Amino acid sequence: MDATHRTAAPDADAVAKEVLRFLETKTKRSWEPEQDLFASGGLSSLFAMELVVHLEKSFGVAIRGADLRLDNFRTVQAMTALVLRLTDAATGSGGE
Amino acid sequence: MTEHAWDTVTGLIDGQADDWDRAGLLPVDLLRKLGADGRLCAQVPAEYGGRGLSSLENGEFTARVGSLCSSVRSVMTSQGMAAWTIERLGTAEQRAAWLPRLTGGELAAAGFSEPGAGSDLSAIATSIRRDGDSVVIDGRKVWVTAAHYADLLVVFGRYEDGAAAVVVPSDAPGVRVERVADPLGCRAAGHAGITLDSVRLPADAVLGGVGLSLPLLVTTALAYGRISVAWGCVGILRGCRTAAAQHASTREQFGKPLAEHQLVARHLAELLVAEQLATRVSEHASRCWDSGSPEQVMATVLAKHVSADQATRGAETALQVLASAGARDGHLVARAYRDAKLMKIIEGSHEMCQLMLAEHAVNGSI
Repeated sequence: MDATHRTAAPDADAVAKEVLRFLETKTKRSWEPEQDLFASGGLSSLFAMELVVHLEKSFGVAIRGADLRLDNFRTVQAMTALVLRLTDAATGSGGE
Repeated sequence: MTEHAWDTVTGLIDGQADDWDRAGLLPVDLLRKLGADGRLCAQVPAEYGGRGLSSLENGEFTARVGSLCSSVRSVMTSQGMAAWTIERLGTAEQRAAWLPRLTGGELAAAGFSEPGAGSDLSAIATSIRRDGDSVVIDGRKVWVTAAHYADLLVVFGRYEDGAAAVVVPSDAPGVRVERVADPLGCRAAGHAGITLDSVRLPADAVLGGVGLSLPLLVTTALAYGRISVAWGCVGILRGCRTAAAQHASTREQFGKPLAEHQLVARHLAELLVAEQLATRVSEHASRCWDSGSPEQVMATVLAKHVSADQATRGAETALQVLASAGARDGHLVARAYRDAKLMKIIEGSHEMCQLMLAEHAVNGSI
């Protein structure tokens, strides 16, 4: 399931907007960029995995190993930072 | 996979599953041969020596093996889950170090359950403790499929402020592996308990090197196991459907074949429906997996749930059709009857799957 459609590095606003769109479609409610998604009454680990797969598919990144820390998926801001870091790594240094 | 490759695998298994079931053991050289051909974890990418099959291709292969022998198929599920865990949670170095071993003939198992942690894996007590350049592992795992054969054990435990999976060689000092005596089903799959007593390993045995969220870790690893079990149950149903149809069309009672008696014919129809339901729901999950759709997460839970449930019913139906002809240990439908029941228990029990599906019905959209 490696990235297949890597495009130009997205900007933070575009990433945040897409993640919010996905969240709102899936959960049928609105979320703030800094809101904790997994706080009590929040979302499940199955949903966290859906987020992982969605980010990989939408932004052409591979989220592996230590990047699977739940903190990276806790808020829209955190997911945006993760995507930007992984796309930078992929387009910049030639790493995966 | 080509038909030729498939014939090779069939030739290695066909006709022997009855004996393996009665003996409660698979020939280790067979497992090593399948492993060295990359067939036990056939989705591992070619860069690691794997066959790089899609989920759909691997699913079809899994069903074919499952139609012959659920014990071999269970070993595939374990090896595949260990490989998937390493691929997903490991660093680039760890993937390069471990995956070629799993496609090169070494055997692996993944340990989740403990004496106090079955469905409630949040109760996992196995500890992985950092000590300088080492980690020290203490704990007990139960009912680890294929552990009896495994060279490498992927063990889930508590680590730092979260959890981790650690790759433990089964011959490391402090590791004890004891077979489960006389399991109900998949009798030759090598289920075993594992005791880890101050097992000291280099710190880079911890996949990813950091503590992760236990639920996310377990959910990630089990996803592979669930889809593999779903396809394995497709195989069970294919075997049952074929055996029941063959028996009902040749065995005569009251002057005509069983299949011409309407109550028996209904069993055959139900078997066909069960096999088709399991196949289609598993295909859907695999297609979601292959297209990278987030829907794969729930589709996989659904596939496991439906397929295991249908296999349990279908095996019971097939045994009813074969009756005394299938009612001896080792017979395909007798094995199916016992094996399918275990599939309704492992990798998220029937009821745990229902809880996940119910939550999704309330909160999600499929």
